[in-house]
Parts: sequence; C-alpha cells; structure tokens
Amino acid sequence: MAVDRERRAELRGQFVEFARTRDPGVRDGLIEAHIGLAEYLARRFGNRGEPLDDLVQVASIGLVKAVDRFDPERAVEFSTYATHTIVGELKRHFRDKGWAVRAPRRMQELYLRIGKIVATASQELGRSPTVAEIAKEAEVTEEEVLEALEAGQAYRFASLDSPGGSGSGGDDDGDGMAAQLGQDEPGLAGAEHRATMDPLLATLAEREQMILRLRFYDDLTQSEIAERLGISQMHVSRLLSRSLAKLRNQAEPVGG
Amino acid sequence: MSDGGSPPGSKIPEVHLALPATPEFVRVARVTATGLASRAGFSIDEVEDLRLAIDELCFTLIGSKGREGRLELQYRLDGSALEIRGSLDCVDTDVPHLSDWSNKILDALVDEHEVGRTPGASGECGFRMLKRAG
Repeated sequence: MAVDRERRAELRGQFVEFARTRDPGVRDGLIEAHIGLAEYLARRFGNRGEPLDDLVQVASIGLVKAVDRFDPERAVEFSTYATHTIVGELKRHFRDKGWAVRAPRRMQELYLRIGKIVATASQELGRSPTVAEIAKEAEVTEEEVLEALEAGQAYRFASLDSPGGSGSGGDDDGDGMAAQLGQDEPGLAGAEHRATMDPLLATLAEREQMILRLRFYDDLTQSEIAERLGISQMHVSRLLSRSLAKLRNQAEPVGG
Repeated sequence: MSDGGSPPGSKIPEVHLALPATPEFVRVARVTATGLASRAGFSIDEVEDLRLAIDELCFTLIGSKGREGRLELQYRLDGSALEIRGSLDCVDTDVPHLSDWSNKILDALVDEHEVGRTPGASGECGFRMLKRAG
C-alpha cells in the first residue's frame, strides 16, 4: 500500500479534478488506485464467519462512498478518510447481520479475559479447565462465566471495533494462520474425508469445513483444534457453532 | 435454576423447563444445560460441545424457524452425567429425525443420543441425550 510521493501528488490532483468535474473516468481511476486499501481492511474483518468475498464487496462500497465524498480541500489524507468510511461500512454490515455490539462491556471484557484464562490453564493443566476453575481464576461466579460464553457466541464483539489489532491477542493472532487453512493440508483434506462428507459441507468456507472435519471426523477436541490451528478455543467454538447453524439452515426443506 | 424439582426421596437433581418452541428460546435451553454441566464438573471443551449438541437437538425438533407449541425439557444430573430429554407435540407434524450428518456430529459431541417418537406417549416426539464429564 506504500504509495510514493509522486503517485500521491498525482492522486491528489485527480481528487481535485474529480471534485470539480465529477468525471466518471477519473472516479473509476481513483477507486481502482485504492482498491488495495478496501481489500486490506476487509481482510482485517475476516475470520468472523462472513465470507471474505462479501466483505471485500462491502469494503468496496465503502471505498466508492469515500471517493465520492472526499473533499481534497480538507487537510486529511484520503487513506485516513477512506479507512473511516470503509470500516464504518464493514461494521454496519456485521450489525445488519445481527452481530451487533450488544453485550454489556463488562461481559465483553470478561469474555476476553476468559479466553486468555482458558489458554493458560489448558497449558498448565494439560487438559481443558472446568467452568469452576475458570470462574475461580477470573474471580467471578460460574454463572458469569457461562453468561459470558453465551454472549461471546452470539456477538463477535472481540475486536470488531478495532480491526487493526485489538491488543486482546487471541483471535487476531490467529487470523493469519486461519487464513492459510484449507490450502495445503494433505493429511486432513484427504479423499476419504471428502468422499464421506455431506455435500452440504462443500457450501461452507474451506476454513469452516476444515474445523468441522477436525472435530467430527478426526475427533479432535476443541482445544486440540485450537492448538493445531493457532487460534483460541473460544474462536473454534464460535466457528463450529456458526458452521453448524449454517448447515442446519441449508438442510431445512424449503418452506419447512 | 434449582434442585427443588427433585421428587422426594430422590437424590438426583432434576430441572424441568417448558419453553415456546421458537429459536430465541433455545438459548434458555443451552444456559440451563451449561449451568448444570458446570455443577457436574464439565470441562470448558465439554460445555462447549454440550451447547452445540443442544442446538442440534432442539433445532431438529423445532426447525430453524420454530413452530407452534411448547418444547418441554427435562434435565437430570446424575453424578457427573447429564441427561437431557426434550419433547414436543407432533400430532400434526412429521416425526423429526436426525440426518446422517447430525448423527455423526452428535456421536462426537455426546455419549448417547436419540431422536424420534417418544415411546409410550402418542403424538409426542423428542430427543434424549446423555453426556458424561471426563
């Protein structure tokens, strides 16, 4: 995304021209020149259960809006302005899909804290910790732990508000790894799996298929999958839950 | 949630729930299940598996959009084993059944499971599942 100075000056000139003429050709050129930014931001919002293609499309809509609304007279870089617009568009997309940030902040924080405790405790204990153990460590009641898990399942609040890295580690750290999934895993994506898999599964993203295979065909626990893929156990849980819900909806007979 | 529903003389805690058979109430079924599972010392992995299983079984009964009537749930905590039964009136509807895929995932998620017509109760369908801690 590094745009050199000359190119930047050229783009600035085009923005000034577009502001004056509203020429569709200039507009197209500006959109094209910044499409990488839209794709980059879309990827930052990936891994939340929405297909990347959809997110890129949403981000592109944000980019088009930014190009149309940008005022080159203002002392702000287009990339800064566009990032705001695009991220806004992506967040709206998630909200419309029901991923609203509705859980109370206290629950959000607890959920993030639990994620870390689960990871640490699993390492220390060599097994998945019990709810009671997590509650003790987090100094909350078991009910609060369960409530936080329930809230976390429904709402991807973890880092929706800070796509550039939430500091909460966990899920974001896994993005890169998860994005690679389904590319080259010969042992896991073997023919014997493919042959027995319900054709419905093929409708899911590669990453979701992979996690379902690991859990239900290879019989790995959620923690084992998390470890293998370098993502948090809670992230695995959310992906499983979402994938199964998708499959259920697809399997349902029309009008049923 | 309490153990008050246990019949006199029984040491096995039982909880009964009757919910509208619509998707938004499946959450209540899940929360009750995980609350009991946590008492039984389930690990977080097991709790999460239980949640998936409840979703799968409840939605098998009510469909993704829900339906008329009530979903009756009965939870029984026997030591470290949690047994859950769900039932629904199905006089005018098809008897729910599990797809091969649902069977496969439930095999991985719980120790025992079955779905179909409730034996001895005409016009009633349901599920039964059992999951043990450890």
